[in-house]
Parts: sequence; structure tokens; C-alpha cells
Amino acid sequence: MQREVGTLPLAPALRARLAAAGFQTAQELLDTGPCGLSKEIGISREEALEALQVVRQECHGDAARTAGGSGATRRCTALELLEEEQTQGFIITFCSALDNILGGGVQLTKITEICGAPGVGKTQLCMQLAVDVQIPECFGGVAGEAVFIDTEGSFMVDRVVDIAAACVQHCHLIAEAQQEEDHQKALETFSLENILSHIYYFRCRDYIELLAQVYLLPEFLSEHSKVRLVVIDGIAFPFRHDFEDLSLRTRLLNGLAQQLIIIANDHTSAVVLTNQMTTRIGQSQSMLVPALGESWGHAATVRLIFHWDNSQRLATLYKSPSQKESTIAYHITSHGFRDVQPPAATHSAEGAEMNPRKRPRTEEEKQ
Amino acid sequence: MVVLRAGLCPGLTEDMIQLLRANGIRTVVDFVSSDLEDVAQKCSLSYKALVAVRRVLLAQFSAFPANGADLYEELKSSTAILPTGSPSLDQLLDSGLYTGEVTELMGAPGSGKTQVCLGIAASVSLGLKQHVLFLDSTGGFTASRLYQMLQAQTEDEEEQARQVLGRLRLCSVPQLEALQRIQVVRVFSIYELLSALQELRDRLSQQVVSSTGPLKMVVLDSVSAVIYPLLGGRQSEGLALMMQLSRELKTLAREFSLAVVVTNQVTRDSSTGPLKPALGRSWSFVPSTRVLLEGKEATWEKATTQRLASLAKSPRQPTGMQVELDI
Repeated sequence: MQREVGTLPLAPALRARLAAAGFQTAQELLDTGPCGLSKEIGISREEALEALQVVRQECHGDAARTAGGSGATRRCTALELLEEEQTQGFIITFCSALDNILGGGVQLTKITEICGAPGVGKTQLCMQLAVDVQIPECFGGVAGEAVFIDTEGSFMVDRVVDIAAACVQHCHLIAEAQQEEDHQKALETFSLENILSHIYYFRCRDYIELLAQVYLLPEFLSEHSKVRLVVIDGIAFPFRHDFEDLSLRTRLLNGLAQQLIIIANDHTSAVVLTNQMTTRIGQSQSMLVPALGESWGHAATVRLIFHWDNSQRLATLYKSPSQKESTIAYHITSHGFRDVQPPAATHSAEGAEMNPRKRPRTEEEKQ
Repeated sequence: MVVLRAGLCPGLTEDMIQLLRANGIRTVVDFVSSDLEDVAQKCSLSYKALVAVRRVLLAQFSAFPANGADLYEELKSSTAILPTGSPSLDQLLDSGLYTGEVTELMGAPGSGKTQVCLGIAASVSLGLKQHVLFLDSTGGFTASRLYQMLQAQTEDEEEQARQVLGRLRLCSVPQLEALQRIQVVRVFSIYELLSALQELRDRLSQQVVSSTGPLKMVVLDSVSAVIYPLLGGRQSEGLALMMQLSRELKTLAREFSLAVVVTNQVTRDSSTGPLKPALGRSWSFVPSTRVLLEGKEATWEKATTQRLASLAKSPRQPTGMQVELDI
């Protein structure tokens, strides 16, 4: 009950008046009561009542937590977290090399950022992930739905149809090879129409719409509790042109990052963002670095950078809390995001053993 | 600056307060700093009663002076030095993390701050068998990586040979216990962080010896993630909240002899300027020791695990000391 007045979530003007009147702890506020409070600092009785309600909520929340109740805090021991992580699924990308360097695929409850030059395949990966998140659990997926927030207008439905058709075909082949009951059952619901109807698409034209959309997202997610992936394609685009006040931009971006990580945690979903690249001119050479500045680099938990190397596309894992930095090559085919095929077609039998949740590939790329 | 209220101390009645207020004395500071004879005349109150009230108020609200020798003795008996598990980092920090102080790790994204924090938490929990509170505001806490580090640390101990591969999927007992000693709280906004710290303070002052046990270290990863959304623009409340937070952290560290570790970001002045720590000059006075972590390669084309740690501010060592870390 000894919370300082300065630490309570009240409006700054109100806080300033309380400090000037000499109130220090929350206990004093509660003792004074709404009438006394409104007389002391010169606000209306309704405002005083509201302020006291906020204070009471905070203090009761504290007391409940101290007494051992779980309340709304997110506290647990590392052991519990470890068990949770071991049972959590990953969203696979259909490119086994990429899945390997990510530690199994795109992780839930974390923000993954994909940076790259134009045309290198960021939107392709986003569309692939929006389809892959819906793969049923018996095939190694997370059986969730996807929210796609598009700011650049690069979402092509025909392309998603192609990717989804290839994914469904892949699953059919596996089901045929393995002949299990639940595979057949799952396949009945895993069809093209179903996949497309579970991708929720939003189009935001400027940064205000984007911010509003992200603030309304928690309500949407509570109604659609099966959503396991939120993709924001082009987070750099609305913030990069026409922004006069750079400190406001940093502030908004950081607020956005906070919102997103709260969403990722509370609803156990993965958040994937795509970012653009910008040139930084150093002393002797110029480098391509991710856009939106240094402080944005801290917002994402996992960072992937896509780049070209003479006509081969490469992906580098640049920042991750649990995996080492490494680079792999990938390919974009008519079926979507895939591995680069080595010249001698060695079957990835070791790949299946390393990652037991991955099902063996029975089909080679049919071009 | 506490408002004078009836019942604040014996002898302070409601009518007395009304009379004082009529003469412009509203808070304790006003009362204590005014001339009592004057007040007695203007308010027609008894001088003796006023003196008695003043004595009680002073005893309740003022701080007592202490001499340096006492402070030194107290410091010697209550400070502990926690080894971080990495000898080169210990060398940089003058043999480890000091309790009662705030230490800061700063670095660019991907430079290894979260990894170093996990390593320190693992070493304190496993080696010293102390409890650790990990406040995570970025979502970067991965329990499997922590487990990996714990396993690596017990590898050369002979206990490994006698392990019973237990029921819980290849977890072994000392590592399980170590994991249980690390409490993780996810805080994503400044108010959540402040209420978590308040809760910690309540628990420690009531000395609830339950699963928490003797807490020795608090790790906050990262402080800039919660404060950045409040700074900038035209509002100044961000600065006030930041200072409130720093006061909480420092008093927690000192009162309960905890070692507090925070991580911070780095920013640039312009697109080509040198890296400097985030949160500005006001924050730079809060931690007593600052370590900057840098990756050795400038581009991201080559993968490397080497990191360079340099001491940017320290009360005990010369700054500019550099040490290599392997993550």
C-alpha cells in the first residue's frame, strides 16, 4: 500500500497537482476519499472518484499478487518456462535449412523481423507462413489461423492460391505414404477454400491506420482465438516518408513494438514483420543496413536478413536469443519458398532425424 | 512534502489543522520550517503543543546523519560480490557484480546482452545457489538457451557422471533446481514494471520465506524497451517516470543488498556518429558501472561469436579496459 503517487498510472496533469498538494503514497489518497480529494486539489468529484478507482485497482492488484494469487501477472519460474517451450510448436517454412537455423521454424510468442532489399522474397515468405500456420497438428504444424496486415499492397491472392495448392498436395502425398487415420481426417478440413478463409486480411494505408489496427488487434484476437500468426508486411513503409518529427517516430515505433510483444505473449502467436533496407555511408564504404534506425533493431527478438549473392538468394540469421548466427541459401519456386536442391539429390534422411517433428519428404520438386 | 492530517501524530487535531491551514501551513515542511512562536501567536495555539508536535514530526520524517566509519562497517558486512561465471568479465568488473549497486550492460542489437544476462543468471543460480529475479521486457528470455548454458556449466563436474536421466525429458536434478531458483516476470510497460518492483519490495520487507528464498540478484532486460515509448515528443512525464524507476532500483539494491543488472540500447547521434548509450544523460548517472558490448565484425556477412566488452564507467577500475568474451 506504500506505492508512491508518481508510480501510479494517472494523467500527468493530475499527478502534478497531487504532488504539489503534498500527497506521497497511495495510502494517503485512499484515506482522503473523493470529497476531500476534490477539495484539496481543485478537481471535480467525478474525476476524483475515477482517480481513486484506478488507485484502488492498482493497490488491490499488488496485494493480491503479494498474497500469492496469480492475477494478471506473467510470472513463473524458469523451469515452467522450459516445459512450456518444449511443448510449443513452430511454424515451418518448407525450407528445411531455414527451419534449422531458426531452431525448428518461426517461434510462437516472439517477434521475428525479416529485412531485405526489394525483390528478395520477404512477401513470399510471409505468404508462405500464412499458409503454413494452418497445417494440422498431425502433419507437424500448429493448426492456427493467420492475420495479414498489408501496408504496401503487395499481397497477391493468386500467388497464395498457388502456395496453398502446393501445400495441400504435399500433405496428401504424406497421408498416402503413411496411411494413418488422423491424417485422413485432417485432410478433409485442410482444403484450399478453408486455408483462404482463415487468412484475415487488413489493408492499412498510412501509419495512423496501422497504429489503430494494432491497438484494436487484441480484441480481434480474443474473438478469433485460433490465430497463431500476425504478419505485418511492410512496417517501414508508412513510417519512412513524410515524417518530420523523428523523435515522434521513434516513440511511436517503440510503442508499436511494445503492443506487438504484448499480443505475441498473451495470445501465444508469432508476429512477423518485414522491413526495408537503407544505405549507411561509412568512412570507406557504404553498407546496406535495416531501415528505421538503431532503436528499432532492439524491437524484434529474432532478425533475419535476406540478401543476394550473384543470383543466389541467401538468408542470414542476424539476431536470435537461442541460435547461432548462420547463413543459408534458399529458392523461390512456383510452389513457394523452398530449399536449394543440391546437385546430387541426397534425400534428407538426417534432416528427419535431427528434427523429429518434421515429416519426411516423399516428393522431390516437380518442376 | 506530506500534507498535515489529523492523526498524523498525537496532538495534531482537526481544529489545529484548520487553524494552521488558515495561516498557510499545509505540509510538514511548512510546519517544521516556520517560526513556532509566530505561529502560536497567529493561530492562538499553545506553544508547548506545537513544539511537541514538531518533535514527533521530525522524528518521523527526517533522516539521521551517520558517520563514515559506520557506513564503512555496514558496507563491509552487507556487500557481497557475485561472480558472473566468465572470468574475463569478472576481471572487467573488479572480481564480479557488487550487491547494492546497479550495473549496466549496453550494446547494439545482436551484440549479446541477453546472452550475457542469461549466463550471469545461470552462474548465480547454479554456482552460488541463490535466487534470481529476471524481469523480461523484450520477450528475449529463452528457457531452452538457459538450460543449455546450465548444462555446459555442469559438464566438467563429476555430478554429470552420476546423473539419473530423470523423468522430465533428460533434465538432471541440479539444473532443475537451478531453473526453479530463477523467477521470470514479463513486464511490457513501465507501470507493470513499477508494480512488479513494488511487489518485490513488499515481499522482501515482509520476509516471506516461501519459494522465493534469499534473493540476491535482479536482472532487468531491457530498461530502454519500457522507457523509450514515453520519451520524446513533447511530454515530459517520461523523464519523471524514468527517474522514479531509477530511484526504485537503487533503493532496492541498497536496502536489500541486491545486485541489479540492467541492459540498455545504444543509439547514434546521426547516421554516421559514434555509438552512445540510449536514454540520455539523466540515465547515465544511475548505474555505477557500465559495460559496452560490441561485435568484432562490422558487417553482418560473417558470423562470429567473439564479443568485445569495454568498461565505460566504473567507480573502481580505469575506464577503457577491454576484454574479449566468447558467447
